[in-house]
Amino acid sequence: MTPTPHRVPPPGHLTRRTVLRWSALGGAGVALGPLSACAGPTGAPGPGTLTLGLNRSLVSLDNKLNQFEAAVTVQRAVRQALTRIGPDLEPQLVLADRFEMTEPTAWTVRLREGVCYSDGSPVTVEDVATALRMYGKVPGSFLLGLFPELPTVEATGERTFLLRTERPLPVLDRLMANIHITPAKANRPEELRSGLGSGPYRVVRANSGAGEYTLARNTRYWGRQPSVEKVQVRFVPEESSRVVALRSGELDVVDTLTPDSAEQLIGLPGVTVQENVGVRMCQLFYNFRKPKGHPLADPRVRQALTYAIDGTALVDDVLTGTAEEARGVVPLALQGAVQTGTYAFDPGRARQLLRSLGADDLRLKVIWESGEFAGDTSVMEALLDMLQDVGVRASLQQFQPGGDILKWRQGRAGNWDVIGNGYSSPTGQALTMLQGMYGGTAEKERTGDAFMGYVIPRIERQLSAAATEVDDAERDRRLAEVQHAVWDTWPSLWAFAPKTLLARRDRVQGLALQAINSYDLTAIRLEG
Amino acid sequence: MTTAVSAGRPSAVTARDLARATATRQRRGARLKLWAGAICTALVVLPVTLAGVLPLPGANTQDLSRRRLPPLSEGHLFGTDQLGRDLLSRVLHGGQVSLAVGVLAVLVSGLIGIAAGAAAGFFGGWIDAVVSRFLEAQLALPLLMMLLLVVALFGPSVTVITCVIALAQWPEVARLTRSLVLVEREKAYVAAARVLGLRSWSVLARHVIPNVVRPASLVVLLLLAQAVLLESALSFLGAGPQRPFATWGRIISDGQDYITTSWWLVTLPGLVIALLVVGVNLLGDGLRDRTRPRSGKGA
Repeated sequence: MTPTPHRVPPPGHLTRRTVLRWSALGGAGVALGPLSACAGPTGAPGPGTLTLGLNRSLVSLDNKLNQFEAAVTVQRAVRQALTRIGPDLEPQLVLADRFEMTEPTAWTVRLREGVCYSDGSPVTVEDVATALRMYGKVPGSFLLGLFPELPTVEATGERTFLLRTERPLPVLDRLMANIHITPAKANRPEELRSGLGSGPYRVVRANSGAGEYTLARNTRYWGRQPSVEKVQVRFVPEESSRVVALRSGELDVVDTLTPDSAEQLIGLPGVTVQENVGVRMCQLFYNFRKPKGHPLADPRVRQALTYAIDGTALVDDVLTGTAEEARGVVPLALQGAVQTGTYAFDPGRARQLLRSLGADDLRLKVIWESGEFAGDTSVMEALLDMLQDVGVRASLQQFQPGGDILKWRQGRAGNWDVIGNGYSSPTGQALTMLQGMYGGTAEKERTGDAFMGYVIPRIERQLSAAATEVDDAERDRRLAEVQHAVWDTWPSLWAFAPKTLLARRDRVQGLALQAINSYDLTAIRLEG
Repeated sequence: MTTAVSAGRPSAVTARDLARATATRQRRGARLKLWAGAICTALVVLPVTLAGVLPLPGANTQDLSRRRLPPLSEGHLFGTDQLGRDLLSRVLHGGQVSLAVGVLAVLVSGLIGIAAGAAAGFFGGWIDAVVSRFLEAQLALPLLMMLLLVVALFGPSVTVITCVIALAQWPEVARLTRSLVLVEREKAYVAAARVLGLRSWSVLARHVIPNVVRPASLVVLLLLAQAVLLESALSFLGAGPQRPFATWGRIISDGQDYITTSWWLVTLPGLVIALLVVGVNLLGDGLRDRTRPRSGKGA
């Protein structure tokens, strides 16, 4: 039998096997190709685009309800106020070119010539009057709490007007930095989802649900054009994701860094970490709604508990030196702030005092919202351990953002003893913070708006007197007095003022981080 | 044609052939799975169970001056966490919470699943329709979302989380039990029991359930791994028991902020979870493989 000849394909002939081999190779290439992208930066912004990664969702570019520091940077790039707080915590003129106290209860204001919105329409006195009315109608507004009273607008010309108050308001120029001006017709007593602004950028794309915005240069901007063409704002809640995204070049700037993230980023090539003193006070505030006879209603018990807290260890080890232990009731970086005392760590004394006051079997419930301040969970767990060392049995309850902690704070939900809370002063003034925290009245408390139930009429009267004092030196003296008086009530178990921390890629130049944890987007330029 | 047969064996099948046979390989594989699963599970479960008597620092004992020490540091096999707590101690004590939740959850889900599935399969009719529609409806819901919703409504506590996971897992047991009972109820011994005058409930409880409980309990064992993973996922997402309870999910969640500088805070607890889940799954697979031929013989 003749064997079947083995057929050898001619060179260059495409066999079925060859096709299968090449297909398999191609398929593997397609499948594995995307993996190679993992080795390098992904989704890097373009050369003219600045990408910001915020850790809290920017649900609106209006600040009526959404007022956290990092948001201010973006909000003011679109909407502007008559003034702003400058790098030295002094007020600077923005939409106004004159803002002077001409009477104790009246300020003369003149709008800058040529200021207009991104559609070219002019900013008018009516817009200012409407803005003030709308801010005044928003329930639960943090900003409203900063104003002892809202001024009324009295037009005196096409560009000039008087801001009148019933009582002297010597810091009105600073407070007005928080009132963003929008065309009167478009303004509503709620957070605006759209609308025009007079800022250097305009919104070209917005997804408020996801907290993502794309801003483009406002070509009709009345001032100096910003250098960066496009700004992308992204909401990245996970701190570790923000750090990884910055390292890979996906984000250009991440703000409000935790101390541990800063530690990971310091010294990395291509990344710079910036810090500044902070104007935010983070505190473990007592519940002042306790009935008479409750141990926490006694300032001596509150003071005794403070001896249990090792503030130096918390600052050095947990917060890795990115905060300063409070030496007053407000951060000392604020104008008008004075040192009133220091926290001492002496667990033996704490035990002895608590025993002598009959509070040695004290149980405390500590509540806070995640992300209220950097390193919150570590601080709280360390606190628990320190309290246990002096025989105080404490329990923690952590609320997730968006939960109902507001009801708890207002005394409308469960019972608690200490709350972890952060409070900042967007005006750079001690007075504003003091009024917000310690200016509680019985009337405010009826609606739960007194800060943690802190209603001490003597303090409130002192604060009101200081707030209406038009002489700067006298006001500062009165403020110093009231701060000492507040300290003597021992409102906090412990408190600290965190520094503001921000990390940026080195291609971002000109970023000047301010103490109010904000920066001017128009000053930024991109290199490379 | 005749085949030469060796003197000692009345068959042409040699010992080597037997060793290479599929059945032998399957049996060997099952034994291997069983051993590997048992070892992996024991490596996690034994230290977790004995955490209280092992010479370890307390899970919540802090030493802020010894933060984030790497593994094999003095006195800390797994290193320390961001508050200077011994990571091994936290993982083991956290495992007690995670395992307790997992075991309780699968026990409850197993009981509910076996009872509901057996009733549905044995009685049929409207009971079957109700149970089947219930479990189909529940299987159609996204599990994690449902768990998060319930925890958000009732608050995060060990009891709530255990109940939630138990309620989430009963459909799988019920579905399997129902199918097993459908087969069993047609067998002669069931008819014999009925002829002898036993009531339906007695037949189900005394004769049918004991015959299906073994394969059903294997599924329950496999669900243990899923329950531990679910508990860890809830804790990771912040819906676990309140602090300072250490749970595996929370240890990993807290450690992720340090992933680039302190790898052990995430990696080591993650490995422990993986070891337990792989171990329990291998154990369940091995036991299932071993019970299959026997049930075949019985049938």
